[in-house]
Amino acid sequence: MVNIEIDEDACVGCGSCVEDCPNDVYEMDETKNKTKVVKVEDCMACLSCHEICPAQAMEHQDIHVAKRLYIDRKVNYELDRII
Amino acid sequence: MEIEEIRGTFKPELIPKETGGDLDDYEDALHVLMKFMGSMSSALEQVSGRGANAIVYQAGKRMGHESAKMMDKTDNLEKALDEMGDVLGHEFYFEKWKPSGQDSYTTQDGDQVVVKLLFMDCVVRQTLRRTGLPQKGPLCYLLYGYMVGAVEEVMDIKGKIDIDHVGPNACLKTLTITWSGK
Ligand code: SF4
Ligand code: SF4
Repeated sequence: MVNIEIDEDACVGCGSCVEDCPNDVYEMDETKNKTKVVKVEDCMACLSCHEICPAQAMEHQDIHVAKRLYIDRKVNYELDRII
Repeated sequence: MEIEEIRGTFKPELIPKETGGDLDDYEDALHVLMKFMGSMSSALEQVSGRGANAIVYQAGKRMGHESAKMMDKTDNLEKALDEMGDVLGHEFYFEKWKPSGQDSYTTQDGDQVVVKLLFMDCVVRQTLRRTGLPQKGPLCYLLYGYMVGAVEEVMDIKGKIDIDHVGPNACLKTLTITWSGK
């Protein structure tokens, strides 16, 4: 099953993930002013939360990672050499 | 960029193997096609507005009916979905999905059966992201039409598909079939 890790140091508590997740996987922890995972079993790994999070504070582990054939292998190869 | 020319002997019905190209050729062709599809889709939307969705949906539905002609007919939704999964293959890899509080994948409402499908791999999504276009546009309707056409053909019923959510890694859709339809 999917596991979601939140980097609490990175999370700025904007609540965007709470609002955006269609399956109410997150809730705001009002005392910490950080997001928390409350319904991981309903996560379908759409990764909309990754796109909306301004702090890149979450990590989804053990999910199906969709193919991204639009990635240019030649460009990637060059980047790998530089970075 | 230097373009390597392919030279060979060509006889009718004997296509030289070298013209099949290699992985780089396929990659280049894929990128060109993605860009082409992307600009065609936005041009269609510009010219026909929301009518673009209907046109592409019909095209997809026709494709769905055509490709499902070779599938075994069944009135079992699960079996139909399995067969469609085989035909759509890895490029449109989907699975049934249900929220944790729901017991079974399908729910019945009168003569309608509803099932949620999670599309994990999708060439349309990749094309849209390649060309910087938003999801849920006309190109997405190609896949909706395709699914509906295929399920209608295999099960001889009336179907419709609605979008629940689109994401960069997966999209959730609701397939509704009406037994008494057609
Ligand atoms: S991946 Fe999708 S379903 Fe899962 S937590 Fe993020 S937005 Fe919600
Ligand atoms: S979107 Fe990111 S920064 Fe905002 S609350 Fe969620 S995890 Fe924290």
